[in-house]
Amino acid sequence: MATGNGTLAGKVAIITGGGTGLGKMMALLMAKEGADIVVAARRIGAIEQTADEVREIGPRALAIPTDVTDPAQVNNLVERTLVEMGGLDILVNNAGIVRGQERRPLWEVTDEEWRIGIDTNLSGAFYCCRAAIKHFVDQGHGKIINIASGNGMRGNRGDFMYGTAKAGVINFTRVLATTFAQDNIQINCIAPGFVNVRELQPEPSTRGSFLTSDFIPVGRIGVPEDIGHLALFLASDASDYITGALFANDGGGLAGGVSPTGYAPVIAMEED
Amino acid sequence: MVAGDFRLEGKKALVAGDSKYWSKYAGAALAEAGADVAFAARNAKRIEEAAGEVSRHGQKALTLKTDMTDAAQVQKMVDQVVAGFGRIDILVNANELLLAKPLLETSESEWHRMIDVNLNSAFHGCQAVGRQMIKQEKGRIINLISCLAERGVANFAAYCAAMGGVLQLTRALDIEWGRHGITVNAIGTGWMSETEKTGAPQEELLLKYIPLKRYGRPEEVGSLLVYLVSDTTDFLTGQLLYVDGAAMCHL
Ligand SMILES: NC(=O)c1ccc[n+]([C@@H]2O[C@H](COP(=O)([O-])OP(=O)(O)OC[C@H]3O[C@@H](n4cnc5c(N)ncnc54)[C@H](OP(=O)(O)O)[C@@H]3O)[C@@H](O)[C@H]2O)c1
Repeated sequence: MATGNGTLAGKVAIITGGGTGLGKMMALLMAKEGADIVVAARRIGAIEQTADEVREIGPRALAIPTDVTDPAQVNNLVERTLVEMGGLDILVNNAGIVRGQERRPLWEVTDEEWRIGIDTNLSGAFYCCRAAIKHFVDQGHGKIINIASGNGMRGNRGDFMYGTAKAGVINFTRVLATTFAQDNIQINCIAPGFVNVRELQPEPSTRGSFLTSDFIPVGRIGVPEDIGHLALFLASDASDYITGALFANDGGGLAGGVSPTGYAPVIAMEED
Repeated sequence: MVAGDFRLEGKKALVAGDSKYWSKYAGAALAEAGADVAFAARNAKRIEEAAGEVSRHGQKALTLKTDMTDAAQVQKMVDQVVAGFGRIDILVNANELLLAKPLLETSESEWHRMIDVNLNSAFHGCQAVGRQMIKQEKGRIINLISCLAERGVANFAAYCAAMGGVLQLTRALDIEWGRHGITVNAIGTGWMSETEKTGAPQEELLLKYIPLKRYGRPEEVGSLLVYLVSDTTDFLTGQLLYVDGAAMCHL
């Protein structure tokens, strides 16, 4: 990591799920560019840890325990940010869970699993946007970055609520972008591919560990920086004309997907 | 069997372009639904065979040996079809030339040939028939393309580029001709074969990957084709619709 250039100096960013994984990487990269960071998730230890690391880099940081499925807690998150940080410029909806990923028949999926899957991955983003966007409209600018997934673009066998919720996030982004285009609020979406986030977990984890990267066109699993830098770009002035866009950052996989990895036949041209 | 509302009685179709089998299967589907069908391609034997399918269904067939890469020949052919049939209600562009080769080994002439046969032929067909359809203030154009219009596969760069071109031609003409009662759609075919196995390189790997675990059969495209050219689709235009055994939708 090179030293920052202060491109986000004076900006305040809320990053949900910023205690771990991709959210943590986004927090650190934005902090390096000078942004003050509010980290919001349920595990206090993890968000405090990210906040500490932000302060070590330089900017101010705040850890606000938040469950994004609870609108009251989300409203409190935005209010406290405005009061204690003195503003809000960037919202990253990154909190998410892969629940029910174990393949099992649809008829065994419980109401509770479905509800939590949709609430965390889709409704959470809605609550956060609803709480923040009025402020963005009033101040005449704002950046929202929604973290979706390739699973929201294609069907992954047995992945019911996660894939469905992430597809919702993708189109929610487009609806917001068209609605608030004239308010100078840019709302974009990132679909990460397979990214190894193990190093950024507070406790030993298998989250995002993969046996092989053979299936990824570029030949490697993503690193958190791959996504973090894209979020940084979308949070900065460099992307002021980009809104409603979906950025897949996945090592090239989604551009293919009609043939298996390694399928590269040679067939001669035959005309008669 | 075709549902009553999708019947093509009295309609005149033109299936244009050389491909391994689309003339035959597209022609058969259209004829079974009640349309008369003209065929235009370079391969005389293939279009005679396709015409045979049409006659078998009791419909009228025309065969016009045509090189679709030659605009003048295409215009002449279209004039002949209009002279023979009185009108053209349906155009199916069924050009398909395959090449799978690493890009670094693809020659200038191979590239141009791929663009010429797959993309330029569709342009010629659309232009010559479109002129007639605008006069009629009605028409249906179907471009038979491939999933590779939207997705990449190694060694298929020229094919992908050409098919992607036809897809965008489809979308542009939808907008340009929408007020003339002409719909323009594309059918994206998945991995197709007339036989269960083809012996093509890496076939097992590919078949395992397709959600349905088998190739699509060309006749499975016919029903969508008939629906799309029927009188029930005035509002459905500019779309790419897949017949692909779920190849496009899985991750
Ligand atoms: N890594 C990948 O390969 C990958 C691929 C595609 C998409 N994504 C997406 O990227 C985002 C980050 O995932 P990650 O890989 O970095 O995994 P992660 O480390 O597990 O991050 C998810 C974060 O969301 C937080 N969270 C979960 N439920 C929450 C709730 N109800 N309220 C507030 N926060 C909540 C978690 O914190 P608490 O548990 O402390 O609340 C956690 O910090 C997710 O949206 C995920 O779907 C990741």
